[in-house]
Amino acid sequence: MEANNWTNDILNSSEGITKVIPDTLLFSKIQNRISIQNSVSSQWIWIAAASFTILVSLNIKMLLSNTTKTTAPTETIISSVSNSNQLY
Amino acid sequence: MAINKSDFTTLYNEYSVLVYNVALNYLQSVEDAEEITQDVFIQLHTSLHKFQEKSALKTWIYRITINKCLDFIKHKNSQKRFFIFGKKSQNEVEILNISNFEHPGILLENKEKAALLFGIINELGENQKTAFLLSKVDGLSNPEIATIMELSISSVDSLVFRAKVILKERLSNKFEEYRKKK
Repeated sequence: MEANNWTNDILNSSEGITKVIPDTLLFSKIQNRISIQNSVSSQWIWIAAASFTILVSLNIKMLLSNTTKTTAPTETIISSVSNSNQLY
Repeated sequence: MAINKSDFTTLYNEYSVLVYNVALNYLQSVEDAEEITQDVFIQLHTSLHKFQEKSALKTWIYRITINKCLDFIKHKNSQKRFFIFGKKSQNEVEILNISNFEHPGILLENKEKAALLFGIINELGENQKTAFLLSKVDGLSNPEIATIMELSISSVDSLVFRAKVILKERLSNKFEEYRKKK
């Protein structure tokens, strides 16, 4: 009986609960986060665009340097080895 | 496309108390409830235009808040598991003390009892906890809860009933401890 009453008291302890008003600064915190989010997103777009441009220009540079490149030193060694057929 | 500033202010004034209180009941921490309120309103700011009016705006906001709370709890629990292997952080104390929470909206004479109630509510399953909190703490009707949770009314009836049975069982186990302390 005592246990039952105690259990019911606990279960009914949320009765009469009142709504809690959030901190008045919460709205300005939300607005700050929104403005930060907006500025960060545009910043990231610029960073991504810059990275992409650098990547493309590096690729173009590599392609151009490969086409104008003369025989590489490794190729010279291979050709001299195959000419003499001597492996040691 | 985000909503304009005055509409957003109106939205905040109308629903901030609802969002904050649902989060507070769910997470039992003022700081966490504030964080979730911020997250919910930021999501509303960016995705209100996607709201298709298939349900009431209030129902949609309830769903967003509950989902954010569930994600937050999952994230905290994963951090808690990580602490077993890793270095302890300051948040751990906060996580472990979750059952000692004193709800600021509870009547003074019920504070101690309500702290115990909130502690054991945390031991319920996700759906039972949601249904019980919305029913007994937020005071929503079962049809309203059914709409929010996208379940049938009979399922909500059953969830609330089962939650009460489990809570009674757990409380009767705790009664012995209470009597010894007394």
